[in-house]
Amino acid sequence: MSAVTAWLLPFAAGAVTGVLSGFGVGGGTLLLIYMTAFAGLDQRLAQGINLLYFLPAGLMALPAHRKNGFLQRDVLPPAIAAGLICAALSSWVAAGLDVDLLRKCFGGFLLLLGLRELFAPEPDKERKPPRKS
Amino acid sequence: MERSWRFWAAGAAAGLANGFFGGGGGSILVPLLVRLGGLERKQAFATSVAIILPLCALSAGVYFWRGGLDLQTALPYLLGGALGGWAGGRWFKGVQLPWLRRGFGLLLLYGGTRCLL
Repeated sequence: MSAVTAWLLPFAAGAVTGVLSGFGVGGGTLLLIYMTAFAGLDQRLAQGINLLYFLPAGLMALPAHRKNGFLQRDVLPPAIAAGLICAALSSWVAAGLDVDLLRKCFGGFLLLLGLRELFAPEPDKERKPPRKS
Repeated sequence: MERSWRFWAAGAAAGLANGFFGGGGGSILVPLLVRLGGLERKQAFATSVAIILPLCALSAGVYFWRGGLDLQTALPYLLGGALGGWAGGRWFKGVQLPWLRRGFGLLLLYGGTRCLL
């Protein structure tokens, strides 16, 4: 494998999707598509790498979000507590699942997300006024 | 405090999807934070980064522990992600969100179809 395919392309892919990950949505999903469809990684390894990849990407974006005042601190404790419990369960299941089945499930997930992006209304169209920071 | 069950529910859904699919937690979390939690969109995006981070750390640990993780293959993605994430944080304030949606939706449909075929 040349240095370009081993280093430069993955670095570039991570940097491009990292911008979206820094925004808070979509980056990891696109990187998963890149890793499985173009870089030839198997579904589970791609998912594991993607989880690791979000650590630097998210950490580097957080200080700016904090400075801009977008972080809603009161949301964090309950959401993180519930998320950790469920994440432990679901990743334990995924890590032991048949890779082909995992890939099919991921495909279904992508289709649902894609249809929602294309056809669902903007999330806050029918909403009450925003809550204060 | 009476609203905190909504954040529990949003976090739980994000944790389930993010661990099982190895990503995509933000795609679940942001609409829930907006619809259930009443956050403004930019608040929801930024806050979801802080929520997903510890979930990814835990899930990555589980993946590593149960099946191993090729760290050498991972490294360039992590370095790129650090650079992109830093830029994303800096650009976020001025970005227009709606234009991102359609292109993103098409890419998802493409990826999903490839996985199922």
